[in-house]
Amino acid sequence: MKCAELNRLLSPYIDGELDLQSALAVEAHLQECPRCSAAIAGVQTLRTAISRACEPAKAPLRLREAVQAQFAAAPQQATSRSLGFCLAATPGIAALLIVGWLALAQPWNAQSSAGTAQGTRIVYHLAGGNHVKANLRTLKNHLDAEPNLQVVVVAHSDGINFLLQGAQDTEGQPYIGALRELRARGVEFRVCTNTLTRQQIDTRAVVPEAVLVPSGIAEISRLQKKEGYTYLRL
Amino acid sequence: MHDDWERERFERLMLPHLDAAYNLARWLAKNDGLAEDAVQEAYLRAWRFFGSLRGDNARPWLLRIVRNACYELRQREHLPGPAEDFDEQRHDAEMLAAGAVITLPVNPEAAVIARAESEMVRQCLGALPRDFHEVLVLREIEGCSYQEIADIVGTPIGTVMSRLSRARRLLQGLIAERVRPRETGT
Ligand SMILES: [Zn+2]
Repeated sequence: MKCAELNRLLSPYIDGELDLQSALAVEAHLQECPRCSAAIAGVQTLRTAISRACEPAKAPLRLREAVQAQFAAAPQQATSRSLGFCLAATPGIAALLIVGWLALAQPWNAQSSAGTAQGTRIVYHLAGGNHVKANLRTLKNHLDAEPNLQVVVVAHSDGINFLLQGAQDTEGQPYIGALRELRARGVEFRVCTNTLTRQQIDTRAVVPEAVLVPSGIAEISRLQKKEGYTYLRL
Repeated sequence: MHDDWERERFERLMLPHLDAAYNLARWLAKNDGLAEDAVQEAYLRAWRFFGSLRGDNARPWLLRIVRNACYELRQREHLPGPAEDFDEQRHDAEMLAAGAVITLPVNPEAAVIARAESEMVRQCLGALPRDFHEVLVLREIEGCSYQEIADIVGTPIGTVMSRLSRARRLLQGLIAERVRPRETGT
């Protein structure tokens, strides 16, 4: 990979939006290119500066009340689809749902044909910080459907956030309960140390239920190649 | 027309995103009062067209409505767009238009940015041209995925990727530019 190509992939790499192969190529390049490593650090510093400067605002109470009163009184219209600002079913999201469903359906097929005694091995790749609650529910459902499943969750980029001490969902509920429940059912959580270093997070901030691996991306690749894990993206 | 069940569903899907909606509106409308109006307007529209929401992608669906309401209200109030604010900073608007090639240093001194004051970071972020400003706000402050940003802004995901990269480089350059002269001056 050349520096110019890395420059193009820098943002999606930092945001955890790259596919596994590209992310691996980026990490390999970073190992030997101080210039690009510095560029990554620069963007990371910028992200930290933005989140420090821009605390999310809470809607004022009067707005909340006004909104509630408003929609309670307003009649709905039937002519919804004619307006441009209103998107109907978004193709992208629908496609994602289908891919997710196919991916989930796959292990059952694998099990019925292979039927190994130790159960199917799945490595879940978690790179985003959104929908964590839904993702944990997906894991639980998967285990319910297939109790013998061996699951490793490898988290990097924003995907590590829910594995930090004191992490909460958007409603202020701590994740730790769901995390411990999954741990008790044999799910392993592995956190990318590269991400911690880049985001300047102390390793002690990671909950004891998770273990550290040097590189999340390399770990996923290793589990697939060396230990026969099936790859699924959360 | 609609029963209590529909209203209950709307509350359950839409009200949890009120803070996110208001937060986005404050950034895009650039005025707290206008932001509140835009959110009210957006919820009204969301309620009217609730039937067109499919699946559980409520958050990007709502944020898209909020975004458009903000821009419409700004236009209605004849407020200058972000690109014009940017012009006042002696920047060549043509160079900064979406699609133009921007040559800024790849690594504009992380240390300088780390020292930047929060108020200045907010000002610089607010001074970015609209196309770059909105993707950065959606990504960094609202925590949206690329797919969600693509849905909200209405562009292909590849455009989100390149705009976000460019937005970050622009913002790095802006902040570094404002921090440095002041430091050498004192
Ligand atoms: Zn390089």
